[in-house]
Amino acid sequence: MLRKEQNDLLTQTGPGTPGGRLFRSYWVPALLAEELPENDCPPVRVKLLSERLIAFRDTDGRYGLMDEFCAHRGVSLWFGRNEECGLRCPYHGWKYDVTGQCLDVPSEPEASGFARKIKLKSYPLVERGGVLWTYMGDPAAQPPLPEWEFIMVPASHTYTSKRVQESNWLQAMEGGIDSSHVSFLHRGDLNSDPLFKGAKGNQYNLSDARPVFEVVESPGGLYIGARRNAEDGKYYWRITQWVMPSFTMIAPRGHHAVHGHFWIPIDDENCWAWSFDYHPVRELTAAELSAMRDGKGIHVRCEPGTYRPLANKDNDYLIDRAAQKAGRTFSGVEGIGMQDASLQESMGPIVDRTKENLVSTDNGIIMARHRLLRAVRALVDKGIAPPGVDLEHQKVRSAAVVLPPDQPFQDGAREAMIARPSVAPASV
Amino acid sequence: MLSESARMTTAAELRFRVQAPNSKARTTSVIALDAPSEAFVRRLSGDRWNHATFLRAAPGDLDAGPEADDGWLTTLGDRRTRIRDEVNAADQVIMVAAPGGHAEVAAVVGRACSRKRVTTTALIVGAADASDRDISTTLAQLRPWSLMVVIANSDDYVSDMMTALRV
Repeated sequence: MLRKEQNDLLTQTGPGTPGGRLFRSYWVPALLAEELPENDCPPVRVKLLSERLIAFRDTDGRYGLMDEFCAHRGVSLWFGRNEECGLRCPYHGWKYDVTGQCLDVPSEPEASGFARKIKLKSYPLVERGGVLWTYMGDPAAQPPLPEWEFIMVPASHTYTSKRVQESNWLQAMEGGIDSSHVSFLHRGDLNSDPLFKGAKGNQYNLSDARPVFEVVESPGGLYIGARRNAEDGKYYWRITQWVMPSFTMIAPRGHHAVHGHFWIPIDDENCWAWSFDYHPVRELTAAELSAMRDGKGIHVRCEPGTYRPLANKDNDYLIDRAAQKAGRTFSGVEGIGMQDASLQESMGPIVDRTKENLVSTDNGIIMARHRLLRAVRALVDKGIAPPGVDLEHQKVRSAAVVLPPDQPFQDGAREAMIARPSVAPASV
Repeated sequence: MLSESARMTTAAELRFRVQAPNSKARTTSVIALDAPSEAFVRRLSGDRWNHATFLRAAPGDLDAGPEADDGWLTTLGDRRTRIRDEVNAADQVIMVAAPGGHAEVAAVVGRACSRKRVTTTALIVGAADASDRDISTTLAQLRPWSLMVVIANSDDYVSDMMTALRV
């Protein structure tokens, strides 16, 4: 359980909140590059960390992310005309560049210099690995651009999708580090999903539904090791990476791609679930890409033209009780991503953690909250940059390994947990 | 018409969540397995807890070494008590140890917990300044007997974890 004030501290990420200041210490994914596909394309509304913003790509290909509303009368610039290196409000023609600087106020004499006195709040927006990243914190403390492995490998090795989740970011993220639910909620998918099936590790998962856990603090967050029995007295370890504040990476299976998530607050009651799959040493196959686009693995199918899942709360997640009864799915909801999302949304927009009854196997979640709270206090009280900002903290990988019983996973998988170019992932 | 899921997941609907308590207190034994962790557990015992007993163990208290079926623990008030009796009375056991490999008692406590199906959590405290080897030695002693092992750099984690577990 968390006390109410602790829960508030971690779940509130709007401007001026301690949790918001934490998120504003990092580069966070804001949009997929495909959302702004060409110069002078239509602008896109973006809500991040409880701020309404507009993103656009100007005539010269520069990206901008700024206050959604025109400084004149508060019209949404989503209606704006993206033309000649600026976004022009259709109401009275005020025009802004990618930094939010007003370039033109047609009703005022140009010589008056009035336009120069108008500037919308803006944030940097930079493309890396098919994702547009933004930094919404103090410009003086802006860290270097992110170097997560999934955005540093060649474009043909990686695939990223995103979906809206109608819950606070924390309950979504906590699902990403809750290894013990896999043997139940997702058990129907391990042998059927094209992005998971065929791995030897699946059999360890399915034959031992009571994993034993070890949680170890890492420089950027946590290593969460789930141990199951393998042959000859050895242990099969699945090691999840969590890097602050909201990067999670799930252990790979067999020859399949490595995958993980970012959980980014839209506001306090909604978040973006970013999902990535990549392989460090090979291109993704056409079949893999097709499966990912079709919502397999950790990805989901969305309503056409949107990032809202096709199965959502408005249609009761297309729950199939017959499939549940027959054991094809454990919860009746199809697909790993929506199995998680449906249950996490069922908790309500912000779950009341004063009512929960955690158990020993929830220590990964307990430790993550502990580290987040500690980081928020250090940042707010002493101005200390939180873990995860340092680029070295981002060079991580999840791993699946079989180790002798007396070998700590943090020793046996030490090299495997570091992202190294051209080195294959450790997977079983 | 809104689906049932859409209606029931709103903040407004959540106000109707039943407010009655949904759990009973769990009895927890917190056991310092070695001398360095005893001081730590002693400090911890000064905080306010619901149903926690704080104990310490020493290798000399075992009936027949780490392979023993039973042995003794000592409360922080210096009362001796049988490991088996303590475990039988507990819903969960938290074992605390320092790096360096002096946690032999974990085997006896763990065996008693296995027999009674009592949940075990093991914490290695003081890990921030310890060598990998010292941590590994303690880890090897704890691992066979713990459902969850946590290596915490910050000692205040134990207190936070106990609060989270409603100890």
